[in-house]
Amino acid sequence: MVFIGNFALALALLLAVYATGASVIGARRKLPALVESAAHAMWATAGMVAVAAAVLWSALLHNDFTVAYVAQHSSTTLPTFYKVTAFWGGQEGSLLFWTLLLTVFGAIVAWQNRRADPVLTPYVFMCLSLVSIFFLGMLNFVTSPFARTVPPPSEGRDLNPLLQNYWMAIHPPSLYTGYVSATVPFAFAVAALITCRLDDAWIRRTRRWALFSWFFLTLGNMFGARWAYEVLGWGGYWAWDPVENAAFMPWLAMTAYLHSVMIQERKDMLKVWNMALIGLAFALTLFGTFITRSGVISSVHSFTQSGLGPYFVSFLCAVVGLYTALVLYRLPQLRSEAELESMLSREAAFLFNNLVLVGIAFAVFWGTIFPILSEAVRGVKITVGPPFFNRVNAPLALALLFLMGVGPLIAWRRATWRNLTQSFSAPAALGIAAGVAALAAGIGQWYVLATISLAVFVVATIGAEFGRGMRARQRTLSESAPQALISLVAKNNRRYGGYIVHLGVVMAFVGIVASSFFKVEVKRSVKDGQSFSVGGYELVYRGISVKDTTHVEEVDAVVEVRKGGRTIALLKPARLFYKREQQPATKVALRQTPLADLYVVFAGLDEKTGMATFQAFLTPMVFWLWAGGLVMALGTVVAFWPDVREREAIARALERRTYALDAGRAVEPLGG
Amino acid sequence: MRFKPRFFIGGGLVAAAVIYLTTTAIRNTAEYYLTVPEVAARAQQLTGQALRVAGRVKPGSVSWEPSSLKLSFKLVAIPEADGTGSDTKSLAGIRKVNDDRQNTSAEFLVVSVGQPKPDMFAENRDVIVEGELTSGHTIMARQVLTSCPSKYVPASKK
Repeated sequence: MVFIGNFALALALLLAVYATGASVIGARRKLPALVESAAHAMWATAGMVAVAAAVLWSALLHNDFTVAYVAQHSSTTLPTFYKVTAFWGGQEGSLLFWTLLLTVFGAIVAWQNRRADPVLTPYVFMCLSLVSIFFLGMLNFVTSPFARTVPPPSEGRDLNPLLQNYWMAIHPPSLYTGYVSATVPFAFAVAALITCRLDDAWIRRTRRWALFSWFFLTLGNMFGARWAYEVLGWGGYWAWDPVENAAFMPWLAMTAYLHSVMIQERKDMLKVWNMALIGLAFALTLFGTFITRSGVISSVHSFTQSGLGPYFVSFLCAVVGLYTALVLYRLPQLRSEAELESMLSREAAFLFNNLVLVGIAFAVFWGTIFPILSEAVRGVKITVGPPFFNRVNAPLALALLFLMGVGPLIAWRRATWRNLTQSFSAPAALGIAAGVAALAAGIGQWYVLATISLAVFVVATIGAEFGRGMRARQRTLSESAPQALISLVAKNNRRYGGYIVHLGVVMAFVGIVASSFFKVEVKRSVKDGQSFSVGGYELVYRGISVKDTTHVEEVDAVVEVRKGGRTIALLKPARLFYKREQQPATKVALRQTPLADLYVVFAGLDEKTGMATFQAFLTPMVFWLWAGGLVMALGTVVAFWPDVREREAIARALERRTYALDAGRAVEPLGG
Repeated sequence: MRFKPRFFIGGGLVAAAVIYLTTTAIRNTAEYYLTVPEVAARAQQLTGQALRVAGRVKPGSVSWEPSSLKLSFKLVAIPEADGTGSDTKSLAGIRKVNDDRQNTSAEFLVVSVGQPKPDMFAENRDVIVEGELTSGHTIMARQVLTSCPSKYVPASKK
């Protein structure tokens, strides 16, 4: 079995090398058949990697401990669900998973573009295949998922207990999907630079890939935060750990990119900027993979160190160096004639939004690598923790929230006073009123007040946009309100999908601010029957109950939650003991409501006195963070939905190009 | 090259704001990240400072009182060339800074009050202690972080 896996990986590497060569030679010598064979090779590569993945999955499911990876990340008692997810629970498997996604996406691109643009496409294939070669090279020569253990142990070491959780099962695949799919727009950008096709065709053709990537990066980050919240048991969801930052930075770059390409599509501006952003996004995905695996930056949840570090650094440097050179080489052609006419315009608002997003990414990057920098420069490792990131990013995030309200409504080119008062006076008045009301209600922190004001302002602008569109339809087409809403969104799905995403961002923002500022924490040791209070809740300890399986022993503390003299819930925070690893673990009990989460940790049991110790948090509005994440995902799906007008625009753009080509040098179209 | 003042004014403003925020925040929140021998060598200077110290939990030194959430243990240096525990590898990059061989026998008493004991905490594990160095080789910890390696060495080898 293992032999098949190794063989498939070797074959996949050869096929990727072939695809690279064939697409370049096919493009240069104008041999469409050769480029087509490159596309076929990319399908075959994906097929071979899928075979290797199937072999690893089968080894995991069959407890084949002759495979070192299985012996280290699984065991006979591990539940089947986690045997499946153990695939990405460790170093080699997660790299194989990454490569699987990359080659499958490559195959999809090859299929989507098999009849498209004969000039750009071969270089897209080349770029995707080159990235595949790197990862396949790692899997074949550096960190093989099919390494043997001699002699095979009779039992595996089991999956890290912290990873034996539902969210951890879906967090890595989402994040990897987001990471890896960013390669597609990047490959198109490289192809556009090489072939000097610098119009917006590459952007239009990868818009959906960029959205796809953003969708999964958003979910990946949300799932990761959710996992931290439920599993780590410290009552929070984000700690600015290097590994979290590694997932957050590509999201920021991708968010900036999604916004700035709109300006290029509409105004033919910011071409260099867009090229830079997609390069940055791709480089940050590689950087993220690198820091989680290299051990260069110590993180609470990093993989063990492996020999991968130097390879990743070299590849990252090569990518950044070559790409920068390519952009500089094409700089004269990338200059656009259009100039920003006014600081009060939609272009300017988008530009500022971009700068702030990149500014946040820069600050996060700086804080993440600061220990390495300070050690290199001053010889002392100096770290910065959450206080640094919060201080820097809090004001920038407020600026972003403000721009989110301004950007979609302000006029293109140059906003007039009339336009400004018309669009913004009502939302601004509402925002200020909300801030004043909150102040009157006794909220003293300026940051919270600013958040409330700006959140109301943004929601009001979004509401106004929906209202305007619906009223117009109701008036001219005499549709009912729900009808008008549905067809408005359906007919302009990119725009209104974007607004829905913005709504989700506001919800998440409010959730983050409320939960950070108003969290209440209580620690108490109590005997059976004793109680203590958290916020308005009374928690009564009702003893323990024990569940025992061959895999894990679970000691639940039964906690009765009372409010106003009535029992409203029975919580069971637990201490787990994973037998294989001799490893204790904590299971948090949660009672979630839109207003506040009650979060109870069973911190310990004193055997002698029978005192149970609890740590309880009352975290307001954390619910809105998760709900906001879902709304963001929903909005992205709406914006992703196929759009007739967009397809026509792409067809027109392609047609224009074909004419231009016919008029200039003659290039034969590929594949009919 | 054509100069586009508006792009650069806007860009300059945001860049200046980011740089200002970053530098002031670093000045106010930076902490030394040191190993046990490094702290021992400069104990006088470092007293009263916020630190992050990487070290290993000394076997037999752990005391845990669940009812008061008080955890105390001795923190010792992570041995130079340690081939036995794969745990150490996740804290790589620390050992190479660790030149100070005279002080490898140094140890600190770490006291943490009010935090539940981390699940991964155990004797001989590598931890990062965040806290303040007080006189008398004691570190009052705000937080004790354990690394969670993806590979496990069973705690008891029977």
